[in-house]
Amino acid sequence: MNKVLTIAKRELRSYFDSLVAYVVVGGSMLGLGVWFFLMQQGGFWQIDRASVGRMFEFLPWTLSAMVLPLVTMRSLAEEKRTGTLELLITMPVTDADVILGKYLAALGLVGVLLLATLIYPIALFVFPFHLGALDWGPVFAGYLGTLLLAAAGLGVGLAFSAVSDSQIVAFFFTAVTLIFLHVVGNVVELIKGPVADVISFVSFQTRFAPFARGLVDLRAVVYFASVAILSLLFAFRSLESRKWK
Amino acid sequence: MSSDVMIQTQDLSKSYGSFKAVDRISFEVRRGEIVGFLGPNGAGKSTTMRILTCYLAATGGTAKVNGKDVFEDSLGVRQSLGYLPQRAPLYLDMGVLEYLRFAADLRDIDASTFKKRARSVVEVCGLAQVLGKEISELSHGYRQRVGLAQALIHDPPILILDEPTSDLDPNEKAEFLEYLKRIGQERTVLLSTHNLNEVEAACARAIIVSRGRVVADGPLADIRAKSGAVRTTLTVSAQGLTGASVSEAEVTSAIAAIAGVSKVDSLPSEGSYRLDLASPQDVDLRADLFRLAVQKGWLLLELAREAQALEDVFRDLTLGDERKNRDLTAA
Ligand SMILES: Nc1ncnc2c1ncn2[C@@H]1O[C@H](COP(=O)(O)OP(=O)(O)O)[C@@H](O)[C@H]1O
Ligand SMILES: [Mg+2]
Repeated sequence: MNKVLTIAKRELRSYFDSLVAYVVVGGSMLGLGVWFFLMQQGGFWQIDRASVGRMFEFLPWTLSAMVLPLVTMRSLAEEKRTGTLELLITMPVTDADVILGKYLAALGLVGVLLLATLIYPIALFVFPFHLGALDWGPVFAGYLGTLLLAAAGLGVGLAFSAVSDSQIVAFFFTAVTLIFLHVVGNVVELIKGPVADVISFVSFQTRFAPFARGLVDLRAVVYFASVAILSLLFAFRSLESRKWK
Repeated sequence: MSSDVMIQTQDLSKSYGSFKAVDRISFEVRRGEIVGFLGPNGAGKSTTMRILTCYLAATGGTAKVNGKDVFEDSLGVRQSLGYLPQRAPLYLDMGVLEYLRFAADLRDIDASTFKKRARSVVEVCGLAQVLGKEISELSHGYRQRVGLAQALIHDPPILILDEPTSDLDPNEKAEFLEYLKRIGQERTVLLSTHNLNEVEAACARAIIVSRGRVVADGPLADIRAKSGAVRTTLTVSAQGLTGASVSEAEVTSAIAAIAGVSKVDSLPSEGSYRLDLASPQDVDLRADLFRLAVQKGWLLLELAREAQALEDVFRDLTLGDERKNRDLTAA
Protein backbone atom coordinates (compact mmCIF):
# COMPACT_ATOMS: atom_id res chain seq x y z
CA MET A 1 0.00 0.00 0.00
CA ASN A 2 2.91 2.27 0.80
CA LYS A 3 4.23 1.82 -2.70
CA VAL A 4 0.85 2.61 -4.22
CA LEU A 5 0.87 5.87 -2.30
CA THR A 6 4.45 6.66 -3.28
CA ILE A 7 3.59 6.18 -6.93
CA ALA A 8 0.36 8.14 -6.58
CA LYS A 9 2.16 11.00 -4.87
CA ARG A 10 4.74 11.24 -7.62
CA GLU A 11 2.04 11.14 -10.26
CA LEU A 12 -0.02 13.80 -8.59
CA ARG A 13 3.02 16.06 -8.27
CA SER A 14 3.72 15.55 -11.92
CA TYR A 15 0.15 16.63 -12.77
CA PHE A 16 0.71 19.86 -10.92
CA ASP A 17 4.20 20.33 -12.34
CA SER A 18 2.88 20.16 -15.85
CA LEU A 19 -0.04 22.10 -17.22
CA VAL A 20 -2.47 19.20 -16.97
CA ALA A 21 -3.78 19.97 -13.51
CA TYR A 22 -4.27 23.66 -14.23
CA VAL A 23 -5.86 23.08 -17.60
CA VAL A 24 -8.21 20.52 -16.10
CA VAL A 25 -9.23 22.44 -13.00
CA GLY A 26 -9.09 25.95 -14.48
CA GLY A 27 -10.75 24.96 -17.75
CA SER A 28 -13.59 23.11 -16.03
CA MET A 29 -14.22 25.93 -13.60
CA LEU A 30 -14.31 28.42 -16.43
CA GLY A 31 -16.61 26.23 -18.49
CA LEU A 32 -18.87 25.73 -15.53
CA GLY A 33 -19.03 29.47 -14.92
CA VAL A 34 -19.94 30.17 -18.53
CA TRP A 35 -22.54 27.44 -18.44
CA PHE A 36 -24.00 28.73 -15.22
CA PHE A 37 -24.21 32.40 -15.96
CA LEU A 38 -24.38 32.84 -19.69
CA MET A 39 -26.07 29.81 -21.19
CA GLN A 40 -29.12 29.81 -19.01
CA GLN A 41 -32.41 30.55 -20.71
CA GLY A 42 -33.72 33.80 -19.35
CA GLY A 43 -30.44 34.43 -17.57
CA PHE A 44 -29.10 32.89 -14.42
CA TRP A 45 -30.59 35.37 -11.97
CA GLN A 46 -34.10 34.48 -13.15
CA ILE A 47 -33.76 31.08 -11.58
CA ASP A 48 -36.74 30.53 -9.34
CA ARG A 49 -35.65 27.39 -7.65
CA ALA A 50 -32.65 27.13 -5.35
CA SER A 51 -30.82 24.33 -7.12
CA VAL A 52 -27.49 23.43 -8.61
CA GLY A 53 -29.01 20.85 -10.91
CA ARG A 54 -27.51 22.67 -13.86
CA MET A 55 -24.07 21.79 -12.57
CA PHE A 56 -24.80 18.10 -12.88
CA GLU A 57 -25.88 18.57 -16.46
CA PHE A 58 -22.53 20.09 -17.22
CA LEU A 59 -20.06 18.01 -15.18
CA PRO A 60 -20.67 14.48 -16.55
CA TRP A 61 -20.26 15.73 -20.10
CA THR A 62 -17.13 17.70 -19.46
CA LEU A 63 -15.62 14.85 -17.51
CA SER A 64 -16.36 12.27 -20.19
CA ALA A 65 -15.38 14.29 -23.23
CA MET A 66 -12.37 16.17 -21.87
CA VAL A 67 -11.26 15.78 -18.29
CA LEU A 68 -11.08 12.03 -17.79
CA PRO A 69 -9.29 11.33 -21.11
CA LEU A 70 -6.91 14.22 -20.43
CA VAL A 71 -6.07 13.03 -16.95
CA THR A 72 -5.37 9.41 -17.87
CA MET A 73 -3.86 9.71 -21.33
CA ARG A 74 -0.26 9.98 -20.12
CA SER A 75 -0.46 7.60 -17.19
CA LEU A 76 1.05 4.55 -18.83
CA ALA A 77 1.33 5.51 -22.51
CA GLU A 78 3.89 8.22 -21.90
CA GLU A 79 5.92 6.06 -19.53
CA LYS A 80 6.07 3.34 -22.13
CA ARG A 81 7.12 5.78 -24.82
CA THR A 82 9.91 7.35 -22.79
CA GLY A 83 11.03 4.09 -21.20
CA THR A 84 10.59 5.28 -17.62
CA LEU A 85 8.19 2.38 -17.09
CA GLU A 86 11.12 -0.02 -17.30
CA LEU A 87 12.89 1.66 -14.41
CA LEU A 88 9.68 1.87 -12.38
CA ILE A 89 8.72 -1.76 -12.90
CA THR A 90 12.18 -3.11 -12.18
CA MET A 91 11.98 -1.58 -8.72
CA PRO A 92 10.50 -3.94 -6.15
CA VAL A 93 6.90 -2.96 -6.93
CA THR A 94 4.14 -5.12 -8.33
CA ASP A 95 2.31 -4.32 -11.54
CA ALA A 96 -0.80 -3.85 -9.41
CA ASP A 97 0.99 -1.19 -7.31
CA VAL A 98 1.74 0.71 -10.50
CA ILE A 99 -1.82 0.53 -11.84
CA LEU A 100 -3.39 1.41 -8.50
CA GLY A 101 -0.96 4.25 -7.86
CA LYS A 102 -1.68 5.82 -11.22
CA TYR A 103 -5.40 5.33 -10.77
CA LEU A 104 -5.39 6.85 -7.32
CA ALA A 105 -3.49 9.91 -8.54
CA ALA A 106 -5.95 10.43 -11.40
CA LEU A 107 -8.85 10.05 -9.00
CA GLY A 108 -7.15 12.49 -6.66
CA LEU A 109 -6.86 15.13 -9.36
CA VAL A 110 -10.51 14.75 -10.31
CA GLY A 111 -11.32 14.94 -6.60
CA VAL A 112 -9.52 18.27 -6.42
CA LEU A 113 -11.51 19.44 -9.41
CA LEU A 114 -14.81 18.42 -7.82
CA LEU A 115 -13.87 20.15 -4.57
CA ALA A 116 -13.10 23.28 -6.55
CA THR A 117 -16.53 23.21 -8.17
CA LEU A 118 -18.08 23.34 -4.71
CA ILE A 119 -17.22 27.02 -4.87
CA TYR A 120 -20.26 27.56 -7.08
CA PRO A 121 -23.00 26.28 -4.76
CA ILE A 122 -21.25 27.86 -1.80
CA ALA A 123 -20.88 31.22 -3.53
CA LEU A 124 -24.46 31.22 -4.72
CA PHE A 125 -26.25 29.92 -1.69
CA VAL A 126 -24.05 30.49 1.31
CA PHE A 127 -21.66 33.35 0.76
CA PRO A 128 -21.57 36.00 -0.69
CA PHE A 129 -24.96 35.42 -2.32
CA HIS A 130 -28.03 33.94 -0.69
CA LEU A 131 -30.29 32.82 -3.47
CA GLY A 132 -32.39 30.86 -1.07
CA ALA A 133 -32.10 27.83 1.17
CA LEU A 134 -30.19 25.19 -0.72
CA ASP A 135 -31.19 21.59 -0.26
CA TRP A 136 -27.78 19.98 0.25
CA GLY A 137 -29.06 16.42 -0.14
CA PRO A 138 -29.21 16.49 -3.94
CA VAL A 139 -25.89 18.31 -4.04
CA PHE A 140 -24.15 15.48 -2.23
CA ALA A 141 -25.96 12.83 -4.24
CA GLY A 142 -24.90 14.66 -7.40
CA TYR A 143 -21.30 14.79 -6.28
CA LEU A 144 -21.35 11.12 -5.34
CA GLY A 145 -22.71 10.23 -8.77
CA THR A 146 -20.15 12.42 -10.47
CA LEU A 147 -17.33 10.83 -8.49
CA LEU A 148 -18.58 7.34 -9.38
CA LEU A 149 -18.85 8.27 -13.03
CA ALA A 150 -15.33 9.67 -12.86
CA ALA A 151 -14.06 6.52 -11.16
CA ALA A 152 -15.46 4.40 -13.98
CA GLY A 153 -14.24 6.75 -16.72
CA LEU A 154 -10.74 6.97 -15.28
CA GLY A 155 -10.58 3.19 -15.27
CA VAL A 156 -11.47 3.15 -18.95
CA GLY A 157 -8.89 5.86 -19.63
CA LEU A 158 -6.17 3.98 -17.79
CA ALA A 159 -6.98 0.84 -19.75
CA PHE A 160 -6.51 2.68 -23.05
CA SER A 161 -3.35 4.27 -21.77
CA ALA A 162 -2.08 0.80 -20.91
CA VAL A 163 -2.56 -0.61 -24.39
CA SER A 164 -1.20 2.37 -26.31
CA ASP A 165 2.13 4.11 -26.21
CA SER A 166 0.80 7.34 -27.64
CA GLN A 167 -1.03 9.66 -25.31
CA ILE A 168 -2.97 11.17 -28.21
CA VAL A 169 -4.30 7.77 -29.19
CA ALA A 170 -5.16 7.02 -25.57
CA PHE A 171 -6.98 10.35 -25.28
CA PHE A 172 -8.91 9.78 -28.48
CA PHE A 173 -10.12 6.28 -27.70
CA THR A 174 -11.01 7.16 -24.13
CA ALA A 175 -12.98 10.23 -25.20
CA VAL A 176 -14.81 8.36 -27.95
CA THR A 177 -15.66 5.46 -25.64
CA LEU A 178 -16.88 7.68 -22.83
CA ILE A 179 -18.88 9.94 -25.15
CA PHE A 180 -20.42 6.85 -26.70
CA LEU A 181 -21.31 5.42 -23.29
CA HIS A 182 -22.88 8.74 -22.53
CA VAL A 183 -24.97 9.45 -25.59
CA VAL A 184 -26.04 5.87 -26.11
CA GLY A 185 -28.63 6.54 -23.44
CA ASN A 186 -30.47 8.89 -25.81
CA VAL A 187 -31.11 6.02 -28.21
CA VAL A 188 -33.32 4.37 -25.65
CA GLU A 189 -36.04 6.88 -26.32
CA LEU A 190 -36.18 5.75 -29.95
CA ILE A 191 -36.22 2.00 -29.49
CA LYS A 192 -37.92 -0.30 -27.07
CA GLY A 193 -37.46 -3.85 -25.83
CA PRO A 194 -34.55 -5.82 -24.39
CA VAL A 195 -31.97 -3.96 -26.48
CA ALA A 196 -33.13 -0.72 -24.98
CA ASP A 197 -32.89 -2.23 -21.51
CA VAL A 198 -29.31 -3.28 -22.06
CA ILE A 199 -28.42 0.11 -23.49
CA SER A 200 -29.97 2.01 -20.69
CA PHE A 201 -28.17 -0.28 -18.28
CA VAL A 202 -24.72 0.53 -19.65
CA SER A 203 -25.36 4.18 -20.45
CA PHE A 204 -23.50 6.53 -18.14
CA GLN A 205 -26.18 9.13 -18.67
CA THR A 206 -29.04 6.85 -17.67
CA ARG A 207 -27.07 5.52 -14.72
CA PHE A 208 -26.18 9.01 -13.62
CA ALA A 209 -29.65 10.51 -13.93
CA PRO A 210 -31.00 9.50 -10.48
CA PHE A 211 -28.00 11.09 -8.74
CA ALA A 212 -28.69 14.39 -10.50
CA ARG A 213 -32.18 14.24 -9.00
CA GLY A 214 -30.78 13.60 -5.54
CA LEU A 215 -31.23 9.82 -5.43
CA VAL A 216 -28.46 7.36 -4.65
CA ASP A 217 -29.13 4.44 -6.95
CA LEU A 218 -27.41 1.34 -5.62
CA ARG A 219 -27.48 -0.46 -8.97
CA ALA A 220 -25.65 2.47 -10.50
CA VAL A 221 -23.08 2.39 -7.72
CA VAL A 222 -22.45 -1.27 -8.48
CA TYR A 223 -22.36 -0.58 -12.21
CA PHE A 224 -19.82 2.25 -12.05
CA ALA A 225 -17.69 0.32 -9.58
CA SER A 226 -17.76 -2.73 -11.84
CA VAL A 227 -16.67 -0.71 -14.86
CA ALA A 228 -13.80 0.73 -12.82
CA ILE A 229 -12.68 -2.66 -11.52
CA LEU A 230 -12.91 -4.44 -14.87
CA SER A 231 -11.00 -1.64 -16.58
CA LEU A 232 -8.26 -1.75 -13.98
CA LEU A 233 -7.99 -5.52 -14.34
CA PHE A 234 -7.69 -5.04 -18.06
CA ALA A 235 -5.00 -2.41 -17.61
CA PHE A 236 -3.16 -4.73 -15.24
CA ARG A 237 -3.27 -7.61 -17.70
CA SER A 238 -2.11 -5.38 -20.48
CA LEU A 239 0.83 -4.12 -18.43
CA GLU A 240 1.72 -7.66 -17.48
CA SER A 241 1.56 -8.80 -21.09
CA ARG A 242 4.74 -6.84 -21.94
CA LYS A 243 6.60 -9.77 -20.43
CA TRP A 244 5.38 -12.25 -22.99
CA LYS A 245 5.51 -10.16 -26.14
CA MET B 1 26.36 -24.97 -6.30
CA SER B 2 28.36 -22.33 -4.51
CA SER B 3 26.51 -19.44 -2.89
CA ASP B 4 29.10 -17.17 -4.45
CA VAL B 5 27.27 -17.29 -7.74
CA MET B 6 25.31 -14.04 -7.84
CA ILE B 7 23.90 -14.22 -11.36
CA GLN B 8 23.29 -17.44 -13.15
CA THR B 9 21.52 -18.17 -16.40
CA GLN B 10 20.90 -21.59 -17.83
CA ASP B 11 19.86 -21.96 -21.47
CA LEU B 12 18.10 -18.63 -21.20
CA SER B 13 16.06 -17.89 -24.34
CA LYS B 14 13.73 -15.15 -25.47
CA SER B 15 11.84 -15.02 -28.73
CA TYR B 16 9.93 -12.05 -30.08
CA GLY B 17 7.45 -13.85 -32.27
CA SER B 18 9.57 -16.25 -34.29
CA PHE B 19 12.73 -14.15 -33.87
CA LYS B 20 15.18 -15.48 -31.31
CA ALA B 21 16.70 -12.44 -29.64
CA VAL B 22 18.35 -14.57 -26.94
CA ASP B 23 19.22 -18.12 -27.80
CA ARG B 24 20.14 -20.48 -24.95
CA ILE B 25 22.53 -18.21 -23.10
CA SER B 26 24.26 -19.71 -20.07
CA PHE B 27 26.71 -17.91 -17.82
CA GLU B 28 27.58 -17.25 -14.21
CA VAL B 29 28.78 -14.16 -12.44
CA ARG B 30 30.39 -14.54 -9.04
CA ARG B 31 30.45 -12.30 -6.02
CA GLY B 32 32.69 -9.28 -6.46
CA GLU B 33 33.23 -9.67 -10.19
CA ILE B 34 32.83 -6.83 -12.68
CA VAL B 35 31.86 -8.55 -15.88
CA GLY B 36 31.61 -6.91 -19.27
CA PHE B 37 28.61 -8.10 -21.27
CA LEU B 38 29.84 -7.39 -24.72
CA GLY B 39 28.25 -7.55 -28.12
CA PRO B 40 27.32 -5.52 -31.16
CA ASN B 41 23.95 -3.76 -31.28
CA GLY B 42 21.09 -6.19 -31.51
CA ALA B 43 23.08 -9.05 -29.96
CA GLY B 44 20.53 -9.52 -27.19
CA LYS B 45 22.29 -7.77 -24.31
CA SER B 46 19.35 -5.58 -23.25
CA THR B 47 16.91 -8.44 -23.65
CA THR B 48 19.02 -10.62 -21.34
CA MET B 49 19.26 -7.84 -18.78
CA ARG B 50 15.54 -7.21 -18.93
CA ILE B 51 14.93 -10.83 -18.10
CA LEU B 52 17.39 -10.68 -15.21
CA THR B 53 15.63 -7.59 -13.86
CA CYS B 54 12.17 -9.16 -14.26
CA TYR B 55 10.94 -6.69 -16.86
CA LEU B 56 10.49 -9.45 -19.43
CA ALA B 57 9.80 -13.13 -19.02
CA ALA B 58 12.06 -15.65 -20.70
CA THR B 59 10.58 -18.03 -23.25
CA GLY B 60 12.96 -20.75 -22.14
CA GLY B 61 15.65 -21.63 -19.62
CA THR B 62 16.14 -20.23 -16.14
CA ALA B 63 17.81 -17.25 -14.56
CA LYS B 64 18.75 -16.75 -10.93
CA VAL B 65 19.88 -13.58 -9.27
CA ASN B 66 21.29 -13.76 -5.76
CA GLY B 67 20.08 -17.36 -5.64
CA LYS B 68 16.48 -16.38 -6.42
CA ASP B 69 14.62 -17.36 -9.55
CA VAL B 70 13.58 -14.35 -11.61
CA PHE B 71 10.23 -15.91 -12.32
CA GLU B 72 9.37 -17.38 -8.93
CA ASP B 73 10.73 -14.66 -6.66
CA SER B 74 10.61 -11.61 -8.83
CA LEU B 75 10.27 -9.16 -5.94
CA GLY B 76 13.16 -10.76 -4.08
CA VAL B 77 15.32 -10.51 -7.18
CA ARG B 78 14.46 -6.87 -7.70
CA GLN B 79 15.23 -6.07 -4.07
CA SER B 80 18.79 -7.29 -4.40
CA LEU B 81 19.38 -5.51 -7.71
CA GLY B 82 20.28 -2.05 -8.80
CA TYR B 83 19.44 -1.57 -12.47
CA LEU B 84 20.22 1.19 -14.90
CA PRO B 85 18.40 0.65 -18.19
CA GLN B 86 19.85 1.77 -21.48
CA ARG B 87 19.75 5.58 -21.93
CA ALA B 88 18.82 6.14 -18.26
CA PRO B 89 15.06 6.71 -18.59
CA LEU B 90 14.42 9.00 -15.60
CA TYR B 91 11.41 11.17 -14.82
CA LEU B 92 12.56 14.45 -16.33
CA ASP B 93 10.10 16.54 -14.35
CA MET B 94 11.59 15.53 -11.01
CA GLY B 95 14.45 17.06 -9.08
CA VAL B 96 17.56 14.95 -8.49
CA LEU B 97 17.14 14.61 -4.74
CA GLU B 98 13.41 14.17 -5.15
CA TYR B 99 14.04 11.33 -7.58
CA LEU B 100 16.44 9.59 -5.23
CA ARG B 101 13.90 9.97 -2.46
CA PHE B 102 11.26 8.40 -4.71
CA ALA B 103 13.52 5.46 -5.51
CA ALA B 104 14.25 5.04 -1.81
CA ASP B 105 10.55 5.11 -0.92
CA LEU B 106 9.80 2.40 -3.45
CA ARG B 107 12.55 0.37 -1.83
CA ASP B 108 11.18 0.84 1.69
CA ILE B 109 14.17 2.81 2.92
CA ASP B 110 13.33 4.88 5.99
CA ALA B 111 14.25 8.54 6.31
CA SER B 112 17.37 8.18 8.44
CA THR B 113 18.81 5.36 6.33
CA PHE B 114 18.04 7.42 3.25
CA LYS B 115 20.03 10.33 4.62
CA LYS B 116 23.05 8.14 5.15
CA ARG B 117 22.75 6.35 1.82
CA ALA B 118 22.07 9.53 -0.10
CA ARG B 119 25.19 11.15 1.28
CA SER B 120 27.36 8.25 0.22
CA VAL B 121 25.70 7.89 -3.19
CA VAL B 122 25.95 11.61 -3.91
CA GLU B 123 29.62 11.48 -3.06
CA VAL B 124 30.38 8.40 -5.12
CA CYS B 125 28.42 9.61 -8.15
CA GLY B 126 29.52 13.24 -7.92
CA LEU B 127 26.05 14.76 -7.68
CA ALA B 128 26.52 17.39 -4.98
CA GLN B 129 26.35 20.28 -7.46
CA VAL B 130 23.07 19.26 -9.06
CA LEU B 131 20.99 17.93 -6.16
CA GLY B 132 18.41 20.73 -6.40
CA LYS B 133 18.17 20.76 -10.16
CA GLU B 134 15.43 19.26 -12.25
CA ILE B 135 16.60 16.21 -14.19
CA SER B 136 15.47 17.74 -17.49
CA GLU B 137 18.13 20.44 -17.02
CA LEU B 138 20.98 17.96 -16.71
CA SER B 139 23.44 16.89 -19.39
CA HIS B 140 23.39 13.29 -20.44
CA GLY B 141 26.45 12.54 -18.37
CA TYR B 142 24.76 13.81 -15.23
CA ARG B 143 21.54 11.95 -15.99
CA GLN B 144 23.60 8.80 -16.26
CA ARG B 145 25.07 9.57 -12.83
CA VAL B 146 21.61 10.07 -11.37
CA GLY B 147 20.66 6.74 -12.91
CA LEU B 148 23.63 5.12 -11.25
CA ALA B 149 22.78 6.83 -7.96
CA GLN B 150 19.23 5.45 -7.94
CA ALA B 151 20.62 2.01 -8.68
CA LEU B 152 22.89 2.30 -5.63
CA ILE B 153 20.53 3.95 -3.18
CA HIS B 154 19.64 0.68 -1.43
CA ASP B 155 23.23 -0.54 -1.37
CA PRO B 156 22.47 -3.60 -3.53
CA PRO B 157 24.92 -6.49 -3.80
CA ILE B 158 24.32 -6.68 -7.55
CA LEU B 159 24.35 -3.99 -10.21
CA ILE B 160 23.12 -4.40 -13.75
CA LEU B 161 24.03 -1.54 -16.07
CA ASP B 162 22.89 -1.46 -19.67
CA GLU B 163 25.29 0.51 -21.85
CA PRO B 164 25.83 3.14 -19.19
CA THR B 165 28.50 4.95 -21.19
CA SER B 166 27.19 4.76 -24.72
CA ASP B 167 25.98 8.37 -25.01
CA LEU B 168 28.74 9.99 -22.99
CA ASP B 169 31.64 12.05 -24.26
CA PRO B 170 35.17 10.69 -23.67
CA ASN B 171 35.71 12.66 -20.46
CA GLU B 172 32.38 11.65 -19.00
CA LYS B 173 33.10 8.09 -20.03
CA ALA B 174 36.42 8.02 -18.22
CA GLU B 175 34.82 9.52 -15.11
CA PHE B 176 31.96 7.07 -15.18
CA LEU B 177 34.35 4.13 -15.40
CA GLU B 178 36.27 5.58 -12.48
CA TYR B 179 33.09 5.66 -10.37
CA LEU B 180 32.32 2.18 -11.50
CA LYS B 181 35.64 0.82 -10.30
CA ARG B 182 35.01 2.30 -6.88
CA ILE B 183 31.49 0.96 -6.75
CA GLY B 184 32.55 -2.43 -8.01
CA GLN B 185 34.98 -3.02 -5.17
CA GLU B 186 32.38 -4.65 -2.98
CA ARG B 187 29.70 -5.48 -5.53
CA THR B 188 28.88 -7.77 -8.39
CA VAL B 189 28.49 -5.81 -11.59
CA LEU B 190 27.21 -6.86 -14.99
CA LEU B 191 27.91 -4.10 -17.47
CA SER B 192 26.81 -4.23 -21.06
CA THR B 193 28.57 -2.33 -23.78
CA HIS B 194 29.57 -2.54 -27.38
CA ASN B 195 32.74 -0.64 -26.65
CA LEU B 196 35.82 -2.72 -25.95
CA ASN B 197 37.91 -0.04 -24.35
CA GLU B 198 35.41 0.14 -21.54
CA VAL B 199 35.67 -3.52 -20.85
CA GLU B 200 39.43 -3.28 -20.85
CA ALA B 201 39.26 -0.31 -18.49
CA ALA B 202 36.79 -1.67 -15.97
CA CYS B 203 36.35 -5.44 -16.23
CA ALA B 204 38.54 -8.43 -15.62
CA ARG B 205 36.19 -10.75 -17.40
CA ALA B 206 33.97 -10.50 -20.44
CA ILE B 207 31.06 -12.42 -21.87
CA ILE B 208 30.75 -11.80 -25.58
CA VAL B 209 27.39 -12.34 -27.19
CA SER B 210 26.48 -12.29 -30.82
CA ARG B 211 23.08 -12.93 -32.35
CA GLY B 212 21.66 -14.10 -29.06
CA ARG B 213 24.44 -16.56 -28.27
CA VAL B 214 27.50 -16.52 -26.05
CA VAL B 215 30.54 -16.69 -28.32
CA ALA B 216 33.21 -16.17 -25.67
CA ASP B 217 33.33 -16.07 -21.89
CA GLY B 218 36.36 -15.71 -19.67
CA PRO B 219 39.15 -13.49 -18.41
CA LEU B 220 40.14 -10.88 -20.97
CA ALA B 221 43.56 -12.44 -21.45
CA ASP B 222 41.96 -15.79 -22.30
CA ILE B 223 39.56 -14.18 -24.74
CA ARG B 224 42.43 -12.45 -26.44
CA ALA B 225 44.30 -15.70 -26.65
CA LYS B 226 41.25 -17.45 -28.04
CA SER B 227 42.01 -16.19 -31.53
CA GLY B 228 45.19 -18.28 -31.37
CA ALA B 229 47.38 -15.52 -32.71
CA VAL B 230 49.88 -13.16 -31.13
CA ARG B 231 51.39 -9.95 -32.40
CA THR B 232 54.99 -8.98 -32.20
CA THR B 233 55.84 -5.39 -32.83
CA LEU B 234 59.36 -4.28 -33.58
CA THR B 235 61.04 -1.08 -34.72
CA VAL B 236 64.36 -1.05 -36.53
CA SER B 237 66.25 2.19 -37.08
CA ALA B 238 66.89 3.23 -40.68
CA GLN B 239 70.51 3.69 -39.64
CA GLY B 240 72.41 0.53 -38.80
CA LEU B 241 74.77 0.18 -35.78
CA THR B 242 77.72 1.25 -37.88
CA GLY B 243 75.89 4.20 -39.39
CA ALA B 244 75.22 2.57 -42.74
CA SER B 245 71.68 2.99 -43.96
CA VAL B 246 69.31 0.02 -43.91
CA SER B 247 66.53 -0.40 -46.48
CA GLU B 248 63.02 -1.37 -45.50
CA ALA B 249 62.83 -4.11 -48.13
CA GLU B 250 65.92 -5.71 -46.67
CA VAL B 251 64.46 -5.72 -43.17
CA THR B 252 61.08 -6.95 -44.25
CA SER B 253 62.34 -9.82 -46.36
CA ALA B 254 64.83 -10.99 -43.73
CA ILE B 255 62.13 -11.04 -41.08
CA ALA B 256 59.56 -12.70 -43.29
CA ALA B 257 62.08 -15.52 -43.73
CA ILE B 258 62.07 -16.36 -40.01
CA ALA B 259 60.18 -19.59 -39.27
CA GLY B 260 56.83 -18.90 -37.57
CA VAL B 261 56.19 -15.44 -39.02
CA SER B 262 52.85 -15.69 -40.75
CA LYS B 263 52.35 -12.06 -41.70
CA VAL B 264 54.38 -8.85 -41.82
CA ASP B 265 52.60 -5.49 -41.81
CA SER B 266 54.50 -2.27 -41.89
CA LEU B 267 53.28 0.55 -39.68
CA PRO B 268 53.96 4.23 -40.28
CA SER B 269 57.01 5.69 -38.54
CA GLU B 270 59.77 8.16 -39.24
CA GLY B 271 63.48 7.41 -39.52
CA SER B 272 62.77 3.82 -38.66
CA TYR B 273 60.77 0.82 -39.82
CA ARG B 274 57.96 -0.31 -37.58
CA LEU B 275 56.63 -3.77 -38.29
CA ASP B 276 53.72 -5.74 -36.98
CA LEU B 277 54.23 -9.49 -37.14
CA ALA B 278 51.63 -12.18 -36.69
CA SER B 279 52.57 -15.64 -35.50
CA PRO B 280 50.91 -18.67 -33.92
CA GLN B 281 50.42 -18.45 -30.20
CA ASP B 282 53.01 -21.05 -29.21
CA VAL B 283 55.79 -19.29 -31.10
CA ASP B 284 57.91 -16.60 -29.46
CA LEU B 285 59.74 -14.67 -32.17
CA ARG B 286 61.65 -12.32 -29.92
CA ALA B 287 64.86 -14.35 -29.55
CA ASP B 288 65.09 -14.95 -33.29
CA LEU B 289 64.45 -11.28 -34.02
CA PHE B 290 67.13 -10.14 -31.63
CA ARG B 291 69.67 -12.58 -33.08
CA LEU B 292 68.80 -11.43 -36.60
CA ALA B 293 69.29 -7.80 -35.65
CA VAL B 294 72.70 -8.52 -34.08
CA GLN B 295 73.78 -10.56 -37.05
CA LYS B 296 72.72 -7.86 -39.56
CA GLY B 297 73.97 -4.96 -37.50
CA TRP B 298 70.51 -3.34 -37.16
CA LEU B 299 69.69 -0.97 -34.40
CA LEU B 300 66.65 -2.42 -32.61
CA LEU B 301 64.52 0.33 -31.05
CA GLU B 302 61.48 -1.65 -29.90
CA LEU B 303 60.51 -5.26 -29.49
CA ALA B 304 57.24 -6.31 -27.91
CA ARG B 305 54.99 -9.33 -27.92
CA GLU B 306 51.27 -9.19 -27.08
CA ALA B 307 48.20 -11.25 -27.60
CA GLN B 308 45.98 -10.10 -30.44
CA ALA B 309 44.09 -6.95 -29.54
CA LEU B 310 40.72 -7.58 -27.97
CA GLU B 311 39.22 -5.44 -30.66
CA ASP B 312 40.33 -7.91 -33.34
CA VAL B 313 39.05 -10.89 -31.39
CA PHE B 314 35.73 -9.16 -30.94
CA ARG B 315 35.48 -8.43 -34.63
CA ASP B 316 36.30 -12.03 -35.52
CA LEU B 317 33.77 -13.41 -33.07
CA THR B 318 30.90 -11.14 -34.04
CA LEU B 319 31.59 -10.59 -37.70
CA GLY B 320 28.58 -12.59 -38.77
CA ASP B 321 26.28 -9.86 -37.47
CA GLU B 322 27.77 -7.19 -39.64
CA ARG B 323 27.93 -9.43 -42.69
CA LYS B 324 24.28 -10.20 -42.27
CA ASN B 325 23.53 -6.49 -42.15
CA ARG B 326 25.26 -5.85 -45.42
CA ASP B 327 24.17 -8.94 -47.25
CA LEU B 328 20.92 -8.26 -49.07
CA THR B 329 20.58 -11.78 -50.40
CA ALA B 330 20.33 -13.24 -46.90
CA ALA B 331 17.22 -11.21 -46.06
N1 LIG C 1 10.13 -5.62 -28.05
C1 LIG C 1 10.76 -6.18 -29.11
N2 LIG C 1 10.04 -6.72 -30.12
C2 LIG C 1 10.65 -7.29 -31.18
N3 LIG C 1 11.98 -7.38 -31.33
C3 LIG C 1 12.77 -6.87 -30.35
C4 LIG C 1 12.19 -6.24 -29.20
N4 LIG C 1 13.20 -5.82 -28.41
C5 LIG C 1 14.34 -6.17 -29.04
N5 LIG C 1 14.09 -6.80 -30.21
C6 LIG C 1 15.10 -7.35 -31.13
O1 LIG C 1 15.87 -8.30 -30.43
C7 LIG C 1 17.24 -8.18 -30.76
C8 LIG C 1 18.06 -7.96 -29.54
O2 LIG C 1 17.77 -6.71 -29.01
P1 LIG C 1 18.51 -6.15 -27.74
O3 LIG C 1 18.42 -7.13 -26.65
O4 LIG C 1 17.97 -4.79 -27.48
O5 LIG C 1 20.02 -6.04 -28.25
P2 LIG C 1 21.25 -5.21 -27.67
O6 LIG C 1 20.87 -4.66 -26.36
O7 LIG C 1 22.36 -6.21 -27.59
O8 LIG C 1 21.54 -4.15 -28.67
C9 LIG C 1 17.34 -7.04 -31.77
O9 LIG C 1 17.40 -7.60 -33.07
C10 LIG C 1 16.07 -6.27 -31.58
O10 LIG C 1 15.65 -5.70 -32.79
MG1 LIG D 1 20.75 -2.73 -25.82
